[in-house]
Amino acid sequence: MTDLTLLVPEIVLVAMALALILVARRLERARTAATSVVLAAVAAIGSGWVLSSATPEVGFGGTLAGDGYAQFFDVLFAATLAITALLSIRHVDKERVRPGEFYALLLLAATGMLLAASAMDLLILYLGLELMTLCSYVLVGITREKTASIEGAVKYFLLGSFASALFLYGIGLTYGVTGATGFASIASAATERGLSGNPLLLAGVVLVIAGLAFKIAAVPFHAWAPDAYQGASAPVGAFLAAGSKAAGLAALVRVCIVAFAPEQPLWSNLLVALAALSILVGSLLALSQTNMKRLLAYSSISHAGYALLGLIPGTPAGASATMTYAFVYAFMTLGAFGIVIALDQRGENLPGYHGLAKTNPGTAALMFLFLLSLTGIPPTAGFVAKFGVILSVVSAGHIGLAVLAVVSSVVSAFFYLRVAVYMYMTDPQGAAPGRLPSTVSVALLFAALVTIIGGVFPDTFAAWTVPP
Amino acid sequence: MTEYLGILVFFALAGTVAGGFVLLASILGPKKPSKVKSEPFECGEPAFSVSAGHMSIKFYLTAILFILFDVELVFLYPWAVVFRDLGTWGLTGMSIFLGILMVGFFYAWDNGALDWK
Repeated sequence: MTDLTLLVPEIVLVAMALALILVARRLERARTAATSVVLAAVAAIGSGWVLSSATPEVGFGGTLAGDGYAQFFDVLFAATLAITALLSIRHVDKERVRPGEFYALLLLAATGMLLAASAMDLLILYLGLELMTLCSYVLVGITREKTASIEGAVKYFLLGSFASALFLYGIGLTYGVTGATGFASIASAATERGLSGNPLLLAGVVLVIAGLAFKIAAVPFHAWAPDAYQGASAPVGAFLAAGSKAAGLAALVRVCIVAFAPEQPLWSNLLVALAALSILVGSLLALSQTNMKRLLAYSSISHAGYALLGLIPGTPAGASATMTYAFVYAFMTLGAFGIVIALDQRGENLPGYHGLAKTNPGTAALMFLFLLSLTGIPPTAGFVAKFGVILSVVSAGHIGLAVLAVVSSVVSAFFYLRVAVYMYMTDPQGAAPGRLPSTVSVALLFAALVTIIGGVFPDTFAAWTVPP
Repeated sequence: MTEYLGILVFFALAGTVAGGFVLLASILGPKKPSKVKSEPFECGEPAFSVSAGHMSIKFYLTAILFILFDVELVFLYPWAVVFRDLGTWGLTGMSIFLGILMVGFFYAWDNGALDWK
């Protein structure tokens, strides 16, 4: 019975989602639904906080954890959910998406993320990630009148189901060799029975990591991301970039460090390849993008690579660097997507940013802040996070990879700061965008606050991270 | 091995008789080929055609609703078998599960999925 306290945040979110589904037909305005989503997110975190002393470390037969690691990601996912809800109100109304369904799917996707972060068993992890991705497929295609939206959803669905199949096959092989699906039992079976070199187990490790690499859109499992982000309504893109990536990373860190600890040399090498490819390909392909959502998609691919750097040494300090990176990246990408959302149709393409500083100095300044952070320039949180992961990869002795990360960072400065140049050094074109809706402003200011605090007081978020 | 000899003879005889008749039919039988008869699957029906026109998209919704109850049954059946052993705890869990499914059913009903128009 006390095990149930572990699930209270999930229960709160699901209850609100069910309530929204019940009233879906009678719900006309997005504002009502979005408010209830924000309330549910706050209630989920609040209840988790209040119950944290009564919560057992692990429950449900060792399949779910309520440790600091899970709580850290719970906060991140709830914040992502609340910010996305605030950002999306105007889009949902304008694109004539029915608010009940939209916000119910958002809540259920967030529930899947919470489950994935607290999973201690491969099957629960699969369940959580599938709940998240199934809702994401629908969210990407929910703007049915737009062909691009449906195309993005179909591509995401086809590649996503393939990746899920790989993941399941990996679970199957791991279970076949070790006879366990629990993280701790897999690791102990591998060490005690000397299975860590078993080729089938190694194949299982590779497949599980490939399945998770798809969720974080790491190269070569990134092909869905640009189309899905561009086709989706901008708030959905923001939610995927921030939440879905963090959920994938949360799962990857726990699986690698706890379940596959004896196979560390193998996954370390795999992650080196994934990280190097993601950083390089993401940065290079972003150079030629003119659509802002597509640019942010490629940026998210390269950031997935940076986040993986922390995991390569397999140490608690490195895992903590990856956690910080996921946290900081979520807020800065939510911020950048938030500006795209705030500028509406104008924000979708690069020319829309011409002379923004003259017409809307506040919006331009916020965008500049998020761009600096995405590039990794002090005094923003992006710099601190990037510094942390590169430091941990240097400590593991991969100097070449660290050099590649820094050089790609310089390359990425070109396409991030090009937007800033457009905003500050060119003349405005067309009509000036109107004032931002107050909900969007609140969400943007919150994201900006996190980005600044993380940069000025570098240890703030790192202090919250609890490696698995 | 000798007890298998009978089976071997049986196979040989069956093969000879069947093969013999096919051979005889192809040598002695009359051959009057026509267009329909020369088709790969000669059976009196045209091989390629849309058999029943287009399927109504409404069947898709019905199929989805069927899955809802199918999944329900898959979980209800094993639960019913051990119903007494699980007691109140099992009953509560199953009620919550059914409740969530019914929310989905209510949503479909509420939005006109059951109206055949």
